Amino acid sequence: MSQAPCSFDPVTTHDPADVLRPHAEIEFASELAALVAQDDRPRPPRWKLSPWSVVTYLMGGHLADGTVISAKYIGPRRLIEVAVATLATDRALLLLGLPGTAKTWVSEHLAAAISGNSAMLVQGTAGTAEEAVRYGWNYARLLAEGPSMGALVASPVYRAMEQGAIVRVEELTRMPSDVQDALITVLSEKVLPIPELAGEMQARPGFNLIATANSRDRGVNELSSALRRRFNTVVLPSPSSVEEEVRIVTQRVAALADALSLPDVTVPGDEIRRVVSVFRELRSGQSEDGRIKFKTPSGTMSTAEAISVMVQGLAMAAHLGDGSLHFDDLLAGIESTVVKDPVHDVVVWREYLDSLSIR
Amino acid sequence: MTDLLIDSVEAVIAPVVRVFGIRHHGPGSARAVARGLDAGRPDIVLVEGPREADGIAHLAVHPQMRPPVTMLGYAVDHLDRAVFHPFASFSPEWVALHWAGNADIPVRHIDLALANTLADQTTHTQIALDTGDEGLVRRPADPLAELAAAGGYDDTERWWEDVVEHRDGRSPFEAIAEAMTELRAAYEPDFVPTDPTERRREAQMRTGIRDAVRDGYRDIVVVCGAWHVPALANALDARQAKSDAALLRGMPKTKVAITWVPWTHRRLASATGYGAGVTAPGWYHHLFTHPGPDTVARWFTEAARLLRRHDYAASAADVVEATRLAMSLAVLRGRPLAGLAETNDSARAVLGDGTDAPMILLSNELIIGTLIGRVPDHTPMVPLAKNLAVEQKRCRMKPAATAATIELDLRKALDLNRSRLLHRLAMLSVGWGVEVEGRRSAGTFRETWEVLWEPELEVRLIEASALGTTVAAAAEAAVSQRASMATSLAELTDAIEQCLLADIVAPLPHIVGLVADRAALDVDVSHLMEALPALVRTVRYGDVRGTDAQSLATVVSGMVGRVAAGLVRACSSLDAGAAATISNAIDETRSALSLLGDARLLGVFHAALAQLVERETVHASLQGRATRLLADGGALAADDVERRVSRALSPGTAPADGAAFVEGFLGGSGTVLVHDTELLGLLDSWLSALDAEAFVETLPLLRRTFATFEVAERRQIGERVRRGATSGEADGGESLDPERVAAALGTIAQLLGHAPMTGPRS
Repeated sequence: MSQAPCSFDPVTTHDPADVLRPHAEIEFASELAALVAQDDRPRPPRWKLSPWSVVTYLMGGHLADGTVISAKYIGPRRLIEVAVATLATDRALLLLGLPGTAKTWVSEHLAAAISGNSAMLVQGTAGTAEEAVRYGWNYARLLAEGPSMGALVASPVYRAMEQGAIVRVEELTRMPSDVQDALITVLSEKVLPIPELAGEMQARPGFNLIATANSRDRGVNELSSALRRRFNTVVLPSPSSVEEEVRIVTQRVAALADALSLPDVTVPGDEIRRVVSVFRELRSGQSEDGRIKFKTPSGTMSTAEAISVMVQGLAMAAHLGDGSLHFDDLLAGIESTVVKDPVHDVVVWREYLDSLSIR
Repeated sequence: MTDLLIDSVEAVIAPVVRVFGIRHHGPGSARAVARGLDAGRPDIVLVEGPREADGIAHLAVHPQMRPPVTMLGYAVDHLDRAVFHPFASFSPEWVALHWAGNADIPVRHIDLALANTLADQTTHTQIALDTGDEGLVRRPADPLAELAAAGGYDDTERWWEDVVEHRDGRSPFEAIAEAMTELRAAYEPDFVPTDPTERRREAQMRTGIRDAVRDGYRDIVVVCGAWHVPALANALDARQAKSDAALLRGMPKTKVAITWVPWTHRRLASATGYGAGVTAPGWYHHLFTHPGPDTVARWFTEAARLLRRHDYAASAADVVEATRLAMSLAVLRGRPLAGLAETNDSARAVLGDGTDAPMILLSNELIIGTLIGRVPDHTPMVPLAKNLAVEQKRCRMKPAATAATIELDLRKALDLNRSRLLHRLAMLSVGWGVEVEGRRSAGTFRETWEVLWEPELEVRLIEASALGTTVAAAAEAAVSQRASMATSLAELTDAIEQCLLADIVAPLPHIVGLVADRAALDVDVSHLMEALPALVRTVRYGDVRGTDAQSLATVVSGMVGRVAAGLVRACSSLDAGAAATISNAIDETRSALSLLGDARLLGVFHAALAQLVERETVHASLQGRATRLLADGGALAADDVERRVSRALSPGTAPADGAAFVEGFLGGSGTVLVHDTELLGLLDSWLSALDAEAFVETLPLLRRTFATFEVAERRQIGERVRRGATSGEADGGESLDPERVAAALGTIAQLLGHAPMTGPRS
C-alpha cells in the first residue's frame, strides 16, 4: 500500500504509527494490502481497489487466502454499495444522518480504500473560508515574486484534483453558503479556475468528493439546489437493532481501548448491552418492550456517544477504580451525555431512572 | 416437415411433448415462452388452468381485450365460492394464449375442472384467489430458496430474475426442468405430492397430455408452473395412465360458470391483499413491454415525469445520473442487468435526496402501477353485470381503479341518474361509490360521492345477480328482503329513505305498511322518535327527486300523534343517562318537525312538551330542555319562560335538580344568557343563594354545562356578571356608529336578496 505523499504536509514527519489516532489507511494497511493482492476485478482509473473490494473492505468478509477483513461499517450493505457506485460515477457523494451515525467514519474509510489517502479533508465550520476549498497565497512569496504557482497554497480540494483522489468535506452544511457554492464548478466542470494566473486546475480521473452533513442542522446553511444536484444522497440510519448496535459498540470500544493503551479491565458481558439499551430507549422515547413511554433528551443519544461513555468508563475503572467495570461508573457517564440542557434533561433523566427502578 | 407428411405417417411418428416450466407472472418466463413457441411451432398448446377456460380462451386475442384481466370461475349455486385466475401482459400463460390465438392453433386447459374444485365446500367457503405462484413460493420449505442459496443468492426473487428473467438467447426450459427434477426429488422422491388435491391436479395434467396425443396431435407444448415439470415427464406411460384414471374417478361435481373480468395491477401486487404474489407488477410490465438496452433509462424517465407531476425537482440530468448509478450498482453487485433493487437504490440516492416521500410515490404509481384491464363487450357476463354495463354507458360513468370524488347536482337529469345508480348499487352491497358528507348540508340537491371500482366488486355483482337481472330489479328485491327481516323501526325507515334516494318505488307501499304496523305495535316512544327524522327527510325532500311521498306523510302524522301521547310517560322516572339519550331524541324530532313545516304536527308535539315542563316526575334536565325548545319555538311567552326558570331555581327545588334544569335549558349554548339579562339575573342570584354544601354538590354539573359553551360566550357572560349587568341594563348599550352600521346593512340586504337600502338614521 503506498503511503500518502507527505511533501506538502510538514506536520506528519514523525513515525506515522506513533500517533494518537492513525489514519485509516495506516491502521488497516495490512487489510488493504491483502485486498489489493487478491483483487482481480476491473478498477476505475486511479482507484487502489475495485468497487467490489471497497465494499468488502467496508463491510468485512473473508478473502480467498484466509485474510479476515474486519467490518468497518455495521449496517445495511445496500447503502455502502450505493455510496461506492456513486463515487465510480461522476456525481459526488453526500452522506446524511443524525450525529453519531458513522458518517465521518464511513467517509474516511471510503477515501482510504479508494485513494489510499483519507487525509485530504476540509472541515466545514461557520468560519471556513473560500481558501480552504480553492487555494490561498503565501503572501511573502506573493509580494516577492508576484502571482506564481510557487506562491499558491493548494487546498485539499486542489490537491485531490491534481492527484485524481478522493477529497472529504466534513459538515458541509456548517459552511457559509458562498463557500459551499465554490464547489459547484469543481463538481460540475471538474475544473478549478485560477484567474490570477490566467489558468485552471483540471481534475484528473479518480477525483471525487465525499461530503457529510448532519440532518439535524440541515437548516443552518441548506445546500443550494444547484449544488445539491451534484450530489447523490445516502442517508445513514441509526442502528436498526440492539444486536447491531451492541456489535458496533463492542468493536469500537475494543479498538479505542487498544489505541489508548488502557490497562486490561474486565468488562462484564452484558454491560455493553445495558448501556446500549439505555441509549436506544432514550433515543426512541420508549422502553424496548414498548410498554413505557419516556421524554426524549435534547441530545441525540447517538451510538458514538455510547462508545465514548464505555471508553470513559473503562478509563475510570482502569486508572481510578478497582480494575473492573461497574455499571455505576457508566451511569455517571450516561448522565453527563443525557444532561445537555440543565433544566429539561435533568427531568428526563430523573424520570428515566425512576422507570428503571419500577421495572 | 409439412403438415401433409405428419398426417400420412401419424401412426408411426412418436409424439413430441415440450414442457415449458415457468414462473407465474414472470416477464422473463413469458418472453422465453414466446421464443420457444416461435422457434418450434407446435400443433397444440396445453396450459395449466381450469378446463372450463377453454370456452373463453379465444377472447384473449379479441381487439378489445387489455390485460390485466382475470378469469373468474364461480359455482352457480354457491356464489360465495369463486376462484380468480389473474393474468398480466407479462404472464407466460397469457403470452401462450395470445400466441396460440394469433397463430390459430388450438389451446386446451389441463388443470382440474372448476366443476370439481368448487364442489369441495371445505376448501372454498370463501373467495379463493389463485396465488399464481403456487409452483414456486407456497411449497412447504420454499424449494426455490434452496436453488437460490446454492447459487449464492439470499433473495429468491432476485435469483430467478438473474438466472431466468434477464437471460436472453438460449431457451431456459431444459435447465429449469433439470433443476426442478433434482430439487423436487429431495422433497417428493417419486414426484407424488402429499396433498391429495395437488395429486389430482397433476394426474389431470398428465391426462390432458394423453388426451392431446390420442386426438392426433404430435407436437405438443405444455405451459405450466416449473414445480410441476418433473411430474409430467412420464405422462405417456401406460401404467401412469391407469393410476391417474383411478385417482380422478368419483370427484364431486357442481355447476360452474367462468368469465373474464378486468383486473388491476394493484390487485396483482401482494402488498394490497387479494394478491397474486407479484411484488412489482408495474416494474414487470415495464420490463416486458420495453426489453432492450434502454429499459433502465426509460424507467427513470417515467419516474422523473411522475415526480415532476407531483412537484418534485427531477431533471433530465438526474435521469442520466440515476441510470448510470443503477448500472454501476448492477456491475458492483455482479448482476447482468440493473434490477428493481438497483433502480430503487439509485432513485432514492439521486431523485429522492435519500428521503422516503418520493419513493412511496414511485412505489404506488410506478412500481405497482395503476393499470386497470378491460374485457371485450361480449364477454359472457351475468345478466346483472350486462345491465350494469348498459347503465354505466347511459350515465356516462366508467369504472376506474383510482379513487375519484364526484359532485352531483340532482337538478340535472344525468346527475340524478348517476345518483340513483350509485344508490341502487349500494343497496346491492356493490360499493362502487361511498356517499361522503361533502356539501349535502348546503342543499338537498347536491351529493358528493367517492367512487372507486375494485375488481372484487365483480364478485359482489355475481352474488347479487341471484336477486334479479337488472340493477333496478335486484335492488328492489334486496331492499324488500332487508325490510321484511328488519328488527327495528329505524331500519325500516332507513330502507324507505334508501328507496327514495335510489328511486325504487315498487316496494314502498309494502315497506310503508310495515312501518305503520310496527309503529302501531311499538310501544317504545324512543324507537318512534329515532325513526322519525329519516321519514321526515324523505317526506320533505321526496319532491326534489320527483317521487311521491304522500302516503308517508300519513304515517308521519300518525307517528307524531303517538309520540305526543306517550312522551310524558317515556320521560318519567329516568336517571340522568337515560334522560340525556331521550333529550337527544327530542331535539332531533323537534328539528325534524320544524323541517317538515307542518304547523299542526309541530303544535301537537309542543303540547306534549308543555306537559313535560309541568310534570314533577320528569327528570329536571328534560324539563329544562322542553322549556327551552318551547321558548325557541315561540310556544312559551318570555314571561312564562322566566317564571318557569325561576321556579326551577327557587329554594324549594333541590339544588341538584336546579343544576340539571339549567343543563337541559342551556343545552350547549350560552347565547341566551348573553342576551337575556333577566335569566342571567335569576341564575346569578340562585347561585349566590346556595349554601356551601349545595354549592359543592351542584358545582360539577354546572361546570359541565358551562364548559360546553364557546369561549367567547363564557367570556361575555363573565363580563356581564362582573359589571353587575344583571340589573336590567339593555343589551347593546354601546353606542353605534350609524355610518358603519349602514355599510354592514347594505351587504346584509344584498345577501338576503333585497334591494340595497340605506341604514337607519339615528
